[in-house]
Amino acid sequence: MSTPTGDEPGGDQQEGDHTVDRTKNTFAGDAWVNFKRWNLKAVRNPFVLVVSLAQPIIFLVLFTEVFGNVAGQAVGEGLPGISYETYLVPAITIQVALAAAVTSGIGLVNDIENGMFEKVLVSPMNRTAIFVGKTAAEVFRIAVQVSIILGLGVLLGADVKSGLVGAAGIVAVGVLFSLWFVALSNSVAIITRDQESTIIAANLLQFPLLFLSSAFLPLSTLPGWIQTFARLNPVTYGVDAARSLMLDQDVMTVIELSYFGGTLDGVVPGIAVLAVLDLALGGVAVFLLARASSSDVQ
Amino acid sequence: MTPSQSEQRGEDGQDPPASETDSTSRLAIDVSGLELTYSDGTEAVAGVDMTVPQGEFFGFLGPNGAGKTTTIKVFATLLSPTGGEVRVNGFDVTADPRKVRESIGYMAQETSVDPELTARENIRFACEAYGVPKGERADRVDELLDLVDLADVAGKEAEEFSGGMQKRLDAATALVHRPPLVFLDEPTTGLDPKARNRLWEYFERINDEGTTIFLTTQYLEEADQLCDRLAVILDGEIVAEGSPTDLKREVGGEVLDVELEDGADARERAIEIARTFDAFGEDATVSETEEGISVTARQARQHGTDLLVALRDSGLTVTGFNIRAPTLDDVFLAITGEELDEESEADAAQVGAEQ
Repeated sequence: MSTPTGDEPGGDQQEGDHTVDRTKNTFAGDAWVNFKRWNLKAVRNPFVLVVSLAQPIIFLVLFTEVFGNVAGQAVGEGLPGISYETYLVPAITIQVALAAAVTSGIGLVNDIENGMFEKVLVSPMNRTAIFVGKTAAEVFRIAVQVSIILGLGVLLGADVKSGLVGAAGIVAVGVLFSLWFVALSNSVAIITRDQESTIIAANLLQFPLLFLSSAFLPLSTLPGWIQTFARLNPVTYGVDAARSLMLDQDVMTVIELSYFGGTLDGVVPGIAVLAVLDLALGGVAVFLLARASSSDVQ
Repeated sequence: MTPSQSEQRGEDGQDPPASETDSTSRLAIDVSGLELTYSDGTEAVAGVDMTVPQGEFFGFLGPNGAGKTTTIKVFATLLSPTGGEVRVNGFDVTADPRKVRESIGYMAQETSVDPELTARENIRFACEAYGVPKGERADRVDELLDLVDLADVAGKEAEEFSGGMQKRLDAATALVHRPPLVFLDEPTTGLDPKARNRLWEYFERINDEGTTIFLTTQYLEEADQLCDRLAVILDGEIVAEGSPTDLKREVGGEVLDVELEDGADARERAIEIARTFDAFGEDATVSETEEGISVTARQARQHGTDLLVALRDSGLTVTGFNIRAPTLDDVFLAITGEELDEESEADAAQVGAEQ
C-alpha cells in the first residue's frame, strides 16, 4: 500500500496492493463531499425549498389575519403587550423545522430507489461520514429556512425582543428541534423504503403535533385533553423555548424552572428535553441506518 | 486511458507483499468455497470456487435467480459471505472491505446515477468519493465524459437522459479511479442494440488497457463476443467453466435444427424419433425449439439427412433444416436444460423466487 505506481493494471506485476493513484479518504473529506452533494441537490430542486416554506408562510399570514383579533386577546390576557404576530412567529419557525426535516427521509428513500445509496456504500468513503455530511446539509438548509421565516415574521410586525442574539438562539432551537424529526423521517424511510409512505407518515404526524401543542394558543385556553397531550409533545418544548427567546421572558408552560431567573428558565428546559429526544431517536436512526448499510445477509 | 498509465515503475513480479505467494497476487479474484445463505434459509450461493487472473475479461452466466448478482455483491463487499474465502485484488472481502472498495469499480444491475445532478457533477462526485487527486479531477471528468460520449450533454441533469445515456454515465462513474478490476452486473440489460454495442466498445477498450472485467450477463451473444473465459452458475453452483470455444466444444458436435409443421404434437413425435435414432450415438441431445426440434450430435452433419427421411417416413412435414456450429445458446440450454430436468418442479420454482 506504498508504491505510488501508475495504475496500469496490466497483468504483469500487480501485487495485492493495487495502488491506484488516489488521495486517502478522510472523515472530514468524505463528510464534505456528501455535504456538497446534498446542498447541490437542494439548490437543484428549489421547488422543495419553496414548498416546505410555503405552508408555514400561509399559516403565518392566515393565522395572524383570521385569528389575530381573537387569539390576540387570549394571548394578551397572559402576556400583556404581546402581539399575536410576535406570539406566533416562534411557532411558525418550529413548523418550518418540522416540514423541512421531512425531506431528509425523502432524500434517503430517493437515494435507495435510484441506486445512489448502494453506489455510495460500495465506495471507500467512511459510512458515518456519508450520513454526517447528508444530515449537515439538511441542518444547514433548515437553519436558512428558519432564518428566512424569522425575517419574514419581523417584516409582518413581529418583534424579537431579545434582538439578534435571541434570533440566532431561535434558529439554534429550530435546528435542535428538527433533529429528532430528521431521525424519525429517516427511520420511517428505511423501514418503508417507499417515498409516498414516508411523506404520508410525516404529514400525518405534522398537524396533530402542531395543533395539540402550545404553538398557536396559550395552553390554558385549550381543553384539558389537549393540555395533557401537549405536555408530552416535543413541539411544545421547541415552541416554548423559541418563544421564550422571542419574548425575552420565561414562557415555558410545562416545566417550571427558576434557576436562572429570566429568559433562560424558559429556554434551558426545552433544550434539555429536545436534546434527550434527539439522542434517543438519533440512536434509533443510526441503528437502522447501520443495519441497512451492513453487508450482513438478512 | 492516459499515456502516463502505461508507464510502470518497477520490474515484472517484484516484491509482492510477504504474506502472499506470487500466484495468488496475480489473481484479481480468488474464491474458494463461497457460500451465501440468506437468513430465510435460501441458499443463493452454495460452494463456489473460481479464480480470475488479472487482465481477463471474465463472463459470469446464468439464468435469473441462479446467484449471479449475489456473487457479484459479495465480491463488491455489499454482502458478507456466510462461508468460504473471497479475495479481491489480494484483499479479503470480510477482513479488508475498504481496501477492496478502493480497488474496484462496480456497476450495479439497476442504473445508479443521481438524477438531480448533471453528468459532470455525477462523475465529479464519484471522483471525490474515490479520492481522485484534486489536480487530476477536471481532466479525469473530461476524459470520462469523452469515453462515454456524453461530453456534449455534460451540463444536463441526468434525469433528462435516456436509459442508454444513464447507463453510460453510470459506467463512467465506476471508472473514475481507474480501478484495476471492474464489476459489471448485467450492464446492457434493457438497452437497444446500438447502445449495447457502444457499451461493449467501452468495455473492450478498458479491457485492452489492462483492466480486469467481471461481467454478468444473460445475453450469450454478449459473453461470446466479449469474454475470454466464462463460468455458468446454476442454483448457486458453477456448472461449467472455460473459454467460449471450449464450452461450445463441450456441447459435442454440431447442431441440426429441424423446422416442422403441425405444432406441439408433431414436435413431440419428432423428439421421440430423434431420441431413438441410433446413428447419432449415445451422447446426442435433442431439444424442442419454437419451430421444431434441435439435435446436437457429433455425427449431425453425416447423418442429418437420414433423420429427415425418418421424420418424413413417420408422416411429419419438415419445412426447413439447418446444420450449424453450436452457439453459446446451445451450451446454455444444454447445461441449464439438463440441470433443470434433474431438479423437481418445486426446486425450479424456488430458483425463480430467489430474485
